[in-house]
Amino acid sequence: MLLENMEPITKKFYDALAEGKLLGRKCPECGAIEFPPHLGCNACGYHATEWVELSGHGTLESFVVPGIQNDKPYLKAVEPYGYGKVKLDEGAEYSFVIFCGKKKVVKNLQERLYADHETIGVHLKPIERVTPVKPGAEETVTWYEPCFELDEAAEA
Amino acid sequence: MVKLGKQSRSVSIVGVGCTPFTNFEDHPETKGMDEGSAFGYAALEAIQDAGLEPRDIQYFYHGAANPYLIGDSLTPNMQVADWFGVRGIGSVHHSEACCTGYVALQEAVQAVASGSYDIVLSGAVDLAASLPVVNAPGCYRRDFPLNEMLPTIPMVYDRAYGRAFDSAFGISFDNWVNKYRWEFGLTAEQIDDALNGISKVLRREAVANPLGFSQKTFEELAAENGLPDADAYLKSFGNPKVTQYLRVTGFEIKCDGAAAVVVMPTEMAVARGLDHKVVEVLGTGAAAYEGATADNEYNGTKDGAAQVYELTGVKPDEIDLLMINDFFLAGDLAVPEEIGYVPRGESWKYAIEGRYAYDSDKPINTNGGRCNFGHAHGASGVADICEAVWQMRGEATNQMPKAPRTTFLRGFGGGQNIRCQILRTVE
Repeated sequence: MLLENMEPITKKFYDALAEGKLLGRKCPECGAIEFPPHLGCNACGYHATEWVELSGHGTLESFVVPGIQNDKPYLKAVEPYGYGKVKLDEGAEYSFVIFCGKKKVVKNLQERLYADHETIGVHLKPIERVTPVKPGAEETVTWYEPCFELDEAAEA
Repeated sequence: MVKLGKQSRSVSIVGVGCTPFTNFEDHPETKGMDEGSAFGYAALEAIQDAGLEPRDIQYFYHGAANPYLIGDSLTPNMQVADWFGVRGIGSVHHSEACCTGYVALQEAVQAVASGSYDIVLSGAVDLAASLPVVNAPGCYRRDFPLNEMLPTIPMVYDRAYGRAFDSAFGISFDNWVNKYRWEFGLTAEQIDDALNGISKVLRREAVANPLGFSQKTFEELAAENGLPDADAYLKSFGNPKVTQYLRVTGFEIKCDGAAAVVVMPTEMAVARGLDHKVVEVLGTGAAAYEGATADNEYNGTKDGAAQVYELTGVKPDEIDLLMINDFFLAGDLAVPEEIGYVPRGESWKYAIEGRYAYDSDKPINTNGGRCNFGHAHGASGVADICEAVWQMRGEATNQMPKAPRTTFLRGFGGGQNIRCQILRTVE
């Protein structure tokens, strides 16, 4: 394996996110979208994948409400949220922070999803994060965390 | 699905050893205990239990969930190497968070099954109740408060994505119990009652166990606090929900502890004719799904169970005892159904009715589990194996009325690693 055949997959993913783009990798053998991006295909076990830009849209498949143990103040500061599984329009599934717009929406979301079997659309909403390079350091790294938001929250 | 191959030879557990699961710093007998001594005590107990001397051990495995933070060490196997009389033999360290103890058994069995070694010790130690004083000898420890501990939990998750997305940590605790609730149309209250039912049973068992951390049952705690019964205590302000479904009592009691097992070929074990029963390791199914992948604990348990059932030919109705690593209590509700121990849709009723008690029809975690017996992280899985072996020999504290012949252990660690193991007494 030579240097010219390698690339920093994770860094490219986060650089694209800083521009508002969601990248995945497509398997040339089975066509599945590998998300988040990795070198090999976890759907079929093929050895290679290639970059592809994704739509940033999906549907919500599961949802749990945070409690004090798994609550994050910097997420709460953005808007009321929970955690859920998203199925991207391109087929891949992964778990994300799900922003909901309003507290009462968080409260009722599970009923809508599980009891009413509602199709709930979500879209990419990256949030800026700033991390000191070490505790107490002035030097920081700025990166973007890929979260999703309910389509209805953006439409409101 | 990965199809497991047959081992070259059958391997059995012939010795077990386990320290108390407690805060060593709180007891004059153990204040100043370090990892080497703790591992050494457990290892020597297992070796003596096997009717052996340390000189008979040919290789050993060392497990710990967080050796850098909790043990201030790299190459952690060398931190314990000289403590139990096996200087110079080969050893290896491994770390799969709370699944470490179950992996400990799998690795040791594979080493003997391969024919490379005949007698192998596998143990684990974590002094998870405190932190080392860095740059001072191993006998000096300091407090390990929650505000230092909680930020370290996400370190089990993938640095590239799952951890950075916050979702792996965020979704892990309630994911499966939430799926369970909505699949069977239960209310949040029914789930709460089920989890509290499990807590009551497991707490009683831990209190009765001299190795267990907990000293008071929830009935006793209720009386002390002027509450009518255990349910009132469990639902009180003093025991709030800290995630959507899990109360404080639904999470681990972290503590100090060490445990070890000795394994050898079954043929050798039987030929030696020891007093107590030989416990054969029939197989281990393995899976590990990254924390933010969909339904990861559910999928891992399903895969691991399918592998070990397929390899061993054991049917779910042959399982007499189920041990479930329960850093958080949700698994105790969902796993029994998933591995076929209880019928689909019924686990919550079994939990409320107390049928998971050691003296009821479907025992789980007869030592009390992580939330009541205590959690010394890497060592806990080995402690569960010790408990299973004691039950199968008829030597346990909370001894099942009929000693189990077949035990299923579901290891789970770092929110991702899964091992499904089946043990059976050699007749």
